[in-house]
Amino acid sequence: MSTSIAALRALIEQRFPDATPLTGGAHTTEQVATGIAALDKILPNGGLPRGRLSVWAPQGGATAILRATCYSIVLGGERSAWIDGDNTVAGAFWNNAGGLYLVRPKSRIHALRAAEELLRSGGFSLLVLAGTEPQGTEIVRLTRSAREGGAALVNIGTSASMASVRLTSKLLRYSWRRTPFGDPAEAQNVTVRVHARSVGWNAHTDFPIPVTHHELRLSLESELADRRGLPRGSGR
Amino acid sequence: MLRIAADYGFDDAHAGVAMTPVAAEVAATQSTASLVVVKLGQDAPFIAPYPLAVLSPPEHLAALVNGLGIETCGAFAALDAEAIEVRLGIDGVRLWRRARADDERWLFRIPLRSLPSASLEWVEYGLKDPERLLFVINSLAGTVCTSLVNRGERAREMALVFSLGNRTQRTHLIRSSRPSAEQKRWMRLVREALDTLTLPDAVMGVTLRVESVTGNVGPQGDLFDRGFASAPAVEDAVIQLTDDQGDVIVEPVNSEHPLLELRTTWAGRGVRAGMNAQRAQIPRYARDDKKGARDDRRIARDEKPALTLQLLPSPKVVTVDTQPRRDHEVPVRYMENNEWHDIVEAAGPDRVSGGQWNAEYSREYFRCVREDGMMVWLFHGSQQQTTDWFLHGWWD
Repeated sequence: MSTSIAALRALIEQRFPDATPLTGGAHTTEQVATGIAALDKILPNGGLPRGRLSVWAPQGGATAILRATCYSIVLGGERSAWIDGDNTVAGAFWNNAGGLYLVRPKSRIHALRAAEELLRSGGFSLLVLAGTEPQGTEIVRLTRSAREGGAALVNIGTSASMASVRLTSKLLRYSWRRTPFGDPAEAQNVTVRVHARSVGWNAHTDFPIPVTHHELRLSLESELADRRGLPRGSGR
Repeated sequence: MLRIAADYGFDDAHAGVAMTPVAAEVAATQSTASLVVVKLGQDAPFIAPYPLAVLSPPEHLAALVNGLGIETCGAFAALDAEAIEVRLGIDGVRLWRRARADDERWLFRIPLRSLPSASLEWVEYGLKDPERLLFVINSLAGTVCTSLVNRGERAREMALVFSLGNRTQRTHLIRSSRPSAEQKRWMRLVREALDTLTLPDAVMGVTLRVESVTGNVGPQGDLFDRGFASAPAVEDAVIQLTDDQGDVIVEPVNSEHPLLELRTTWAGRGVRAGMNAQRAQIPRYARDDKKGARDDRRIARDEKPALTLQLLPSPKVVTVDTQPRRDHEVPVRYMENNEWHDIVEAAGPDRVSGGQWNAEYSREYFRCVREDGMMVWLFHGSQQQTTDWFLHGWWD
């Protein structure tokens, strides 16, 4: 057995003379902790890899977790960026944190350009590309930019080509507050199952996250004009 | 000043100090003392005993005044302004005002500020090739930017002036999101400007002129902060992005509008982005302002993940099957992109109406959980006078 390992090592050294062998416990890359203990435990090396591309299948809590990760990074004194390729971020739920940059590009190409530009700057720990699916050489360019800038690049999409870590998540069970009639009134929590896959790595975890509802401003009297939110002095 | 003049060998230098240039001039030139200080408000009495010649009147005026028998400044100043104007004209009035120590001239003129510029002209031929034009402008930009760097300034705006073959000039202003003295940045902006510019004739000369500048100052950063080292790089990237794509780095400005899609307007962070980056440089422990503390509390709250609503840019019409639930109908499945999604739970309706005085709306919102776990936001109601069902967003 030991002979075959030695032979294999010799062969690798011959084929890849510049390669440096990793010794016990060494990590291939630094990682960006998500700040969610349960999730960090199932990620290879305890976080999203810096300088690499990770892909997270859309929906099922991906936005919630990655946005929390962005805020966690900002709280740690670093920067993160969110590229909202399909312009679905609702302003009412976005926190203007100083080190968190929200980019709302006009088109898919603009989104990719913005991602490349910000990744190359080297000033970001995490860049989330949402709503835009890079293809073919675009992925190559983005991964190269991520490697140059040392940022963890997460694409919320389905194309797992060149991805170092592949993540999927699913919303499992909601806990509801119910009306006196037993109808669902408000979802309070939901259990998320996150599955992380990488080369030689397959793990999953479940954890609950709360559900945020927007502040409903209901009209109490249908006959009355609802002028809330309108500037004073407008109308009659 | 007298000491300095003496050091340079001017031993008979005289100086006069007064509130008006004319009094100071007379004090310096007519007195025998090396330094004469005219007391505050005594400029006119000081000049009064001196002959009118000290005011250097024009020759024709000097002869006229002499003919009238007026010898001193005081005697001339005592005359009536109207009489002077009628008899001696505007030159007489000017002399009369100086004789009264009424002098509006500046003691020291503020020098006109010259901003860097460079130009090149040629007469033998006209340039029509944009690449050659860029080559020339690149050279001019090098000169201008070097000059800016030497002066410790950064340009905010430059003017590109083309002298054309039809003897006209075309000026194009180029503005950078952030003041800069970098040739590379200005050339990128010039290149973009040339891409969209159409000139009516061949170019016979180009001038690149700085229009406005700012000082080369920057805030003090914290060397121990993790974001400090990369702040300039981020700022550069943000500026480049803003220059290329406009205000795409945004932050929401929320109102209290009942309709969520109308509640937010997006404001560009373009210029402020740099400031925010600098704010990110400030370590948390060093932030003592209330707003900073409030920001941190809010970020700490958002650090924990929560499902939030994602909005479609505009509500999308969907086909919905409903079933009755007491006094209302609830959706049980909907079709999007030719695919039916079964709904297992539906909370609602949340009724929103208003806009009677402008665009009237009335909606019944449902928060529906699909069989795959996704929670979607459907509404039914009058959207542009229709009673369709719409998919407005989802929780993610």
